Amino acid sequence: MSRIYKDKYDCIVIGGSLSGLASALTLAKKGYSVLVLEQHNLPGGVATSFLRGGIEIEASLHEMMSIGPADAPLKIRKFFDEMGIDIDWLRVPEAYRFVEPGLSVLVHAGDRGNFDVPSKDIANAVGDPDGKIYEKLMKLFTLCHNVYNSVNELSIHPVSKVVMLRKHSDFVRTAGYSAQEVLDKFEFPKKVLDILSAYWIYVGSPLYDLPFTIYAFLMADYLGYGSYIPRKFSHEMSLKMAEKAMEMGVQIEFGVWANKIVVENGKVKGVITIDKDMINTDYVICSTYPNLAYNRLIEPKTEVPKRAIKSINARDLGLTCFSVVLLLNRDYRSLNIKDYSTFYSLEDFDMKGIWENYASVNEPYKYLTSICTNIANPDASPAGTCLYSITALPRPDSWCDVTEENYRQKKNQYARWMIEAESKRLGVNLFDHIKEIVIETPVTISHYTSAYKGSVYGYRHQMADHIVARLQMSEDENFIHGLAFCGAHGISGDGMGPAITNGRKAAKTILEFMAKDKGARQ
Amino acid sequence: MKVNGFIKDVTGANRVTQERRVAFQKSTSEDLYNDPIRLVARKLHPGRITLELLQLRNTTRDAKIYRFGAKNIPYFEAGQYLTLTMKIGNSIVSRPYSMCSAPYEALGTHPIVEIVVKRGRGSTFVSDYLLTNAKMKDLFIAEVGLGDFTYNELRDSKNVVAIVGGSGISPILSMAKAVKHGDLNINSLTILYGSITPDDILLKEELEKCICDKVKVVYVLSGNNPTWTGEKGFIDGDMITKYAPRDATYFVCGPQPMYDFLKEELKKIRVPERRIRFELFGMSRNPLELPGFDPSMEGKVFKLTVVRGLSETTIDAIATEPLSSAMERVGVKIRTNCRSGACGVCRVKVLEGTYYVSPHNDGRRKADKDFNYVHSCSTYPTSDMKIKINI
Repeated sequence: MSRIYKDKYDCIVIGGSLSGLASALTLAKKGYSVLVLEQHNLPGGVATSFLRGGIEIEASLHEMMSIGPADAPLKIRKFFDEMGIDIDWLRVPEAYRFVEPGLSVLVHAGDRGNFDVPSKDIANAVGDPDGKIYEKLMKLFTLCHNVYNSVNELSIHPVSKVVMLRKHSDFVRTAGYSAQEVLDKFEFPKKVLDILSAYWIYVGSPLYDLPFTIYAFLMADYLGYGSYIPRKFSHEMSLKMAEKAMEMGVQIEFGVWANKIVVENGKVKGVITIDKDMINTDYVICSTYPNLAYNRLIEPKTEVPKRAIKSINARDLGLTCFSVVLLLNRDYRSLNIKDYSTFYSLEDFDMKGIWENYASVNEPYKYLTSICTNIANPDASPAGTCLYSITALPRPDSWCDVTEENYRQKKNQYARWMIEAESKRLGVNLFDHIKEIVIETPVTISHYTSAYKGSVYGYRHQMADHIVARLQMSEDENFIHGLAFCGAHGISGDGMGPAITNGRKAAKTILEFMAKDKGARQ
Repeated sequence: MKVNGFIKDVTGANRVTQERRVAFQKSTSEDLYNDPIRLVARKLHPGRITLELLQLRNTTRDAKIYRFGAKNIPYFEAGQYLTLTMKIGNSIVSRPYSMCSAPYEALGTHPIVEIVVKRGRGSTFVSDYLLTNAKMKDLFIAEVGLGDFTYNELRDSKNVVAIVGGSGISPILSMAKAVKHGDLNINSLTILYGSITPDDILLKEELEKCICDKVKVVYVLSGNNPTWTGEKGFIDGDMITKYAPRDATYFVCGPQPMYDFLKEELKKIRVPERRIRFELFGMSRNPLELPGFDPSMEGKVFKLTVVRGLSETTIDAIATEPLSSAMERVGVKIRTNCRSGACGVCRVKVLEGTYYVSPHNDGRRKADKDFNYVHSCSTYPTSDMKIKINI
């Protein structure tokens, strides 16, 4: 019988996603033996690409946050630098264009934490003769920036209450409020509020329920520092992480499902694969949703504490994804496409209306985010073509009526609506130019990643599941000794940057378990 | 709370934490796991299933239609293929076969799926084995519902022109059946079907049953057939112009030489590139013809070390066979789908050694090329090699 696995690993990571790979790298760097089990034949989870008609097509990445320029790296670039991973980052030229009926604004990102440019862009778009709107925007962004800096610092060095109040006052004072509540205090005109709401879809919660802490983090990072994409798509990032991990001795096996996590007397004992191999370990990092892990993977089920089930049942599942990716047979300039990233509200921006629309079962999506890859990445597709994606992030329950028989009709209908909407906005009939098309639905995501209900956003960021509360309660939520979770459902929530952060945090949790066990043995 | 527009409340953190604690306490510990989306994903992509051979029947003297059944067959799209994995002696091989039955036949209480197996050009040794040995009630491991040679209502014209030769008719028959059944919403399907003699026309009986207001078939015979009153010669620009609607999407399926010829003809009659779709047909059986293939490789046999998990095994790899064939020959399990270098299912990592990848069949992702990942079905060894494969 040929040997596939070692007798025991220091840690097994279930899922070779961005998050799982970040965990593996963190542990491998400390010299631990790690096995990564990935169901697909590619690393990265959703951070990957499709192959169609001989062309590689980005599957999901819009823009990476927390990268920053090479000489002033932000958190995620710093992590890659530490690991010796050299990704060919391309700066996205602008932040975004926001469009709603009667308004079309291009907002540029600032640089190195300077918000002057985006503030001017937004103020000028609505008219700001006395400069008051510009002033308020700068105040808002400063507030966001302070919260952002606090979050970054506090996640590394927790501090005492006194220091919190003194050094992290903005963070503390806004912790109990939703993004909408804080924004309302500035008394911006509606159009400004609409422009400031554009990024809500990146965190998947209506602004009246989204913790300001998350909003601030998002806005400060994107608008103050800009964003980046890898030249060879998110697969470049995933692949380089996997390659570095293997260089560091991590064993990564593709095409393997982890079927069971064996727990005995409250402690992890190992993992059983779908091929019935039992692999021993005392520590497991799981990038699968806890909903699946606690209800179906842990063996025996009696080892799952009731508190664990209660915690996941109390939380809301984050958004799933519906994306139409087109390879168009023209250079983007001949198709009236001017911007890398566009957020388009088909009707007058109404957060509540959009949130309800994203739960609907047979209505066109009212809020779309589009990306034209070639604008940031000129060689993304062959000359005379361009890659254009149109995305909505619906609520998973809205897709639970799907069946084998109605699936294609449903996905084609939604895709048609979305292409029609963009064609109308651009003044170009995109249907005349489609060379290749990929439609990604919650079913697609479930197929490739086993994500619960095709969700890609973890547990929804909301006031009842506040990031600050998550941080404060995190130690109590290691319900099974030796088991940690990484992925969008980790503490930092969704996004590729946060996924990497979550992976590192999961590794840290495992190191804490290890230290505890070592201490107990002595 | 509101003082000069700024918040003075410092109790927020504790408040939201308390709220979350209470929510967790009040929650239920019932198993609420329910994923209908996953169930659909599994139904459409169940991975490997077992098919039972229900029936064999002749279509021409050297081709048979194989009808398979199973409890559940994925609801595939017309134009897709399945792969059959078989053990032949010491070898474990997979081969793709386009499905000639319609998707709707895979639904219901007695799901079936059909393929055509032809003796001659193509995957000869596997097809020969099937034609000689397969009998009713035999079981086969299969992956059903693969490939992109399918109609897409958002991308394609409402008029479809299929140009086929030989067993290329299979996927088009599936489309024709789907159109007749009302499942494919198109205005017209015109099939230009090239064969040599009337006796060569594969699936003629089945095709005739599909002819209706939306489906038209034109047989074009290139051989010397004195009694033939239909179209003669090859399907060229003039023939296409005669039968094709002005705006149409072309689905082309047949042997490689046909593709090269048609590319030029379609260009001549100004069919836009985006309106032409070619089915993949596998690797040339004579790689010496491939651009840049080193002719001195002929006859060479290299050592290929295959790493699987923590184990290694060293096998022979003939320089004129792709890596996947070397592995299949000796029973090393390697998953393949398109066998044309496109889909990436057979992706492996090269750890040592040099290789040749056919430029026409290099469908690899950009970053994969930088790190020596290859699609093993379109990669040939040019030295001893070491590769890592999936478990």
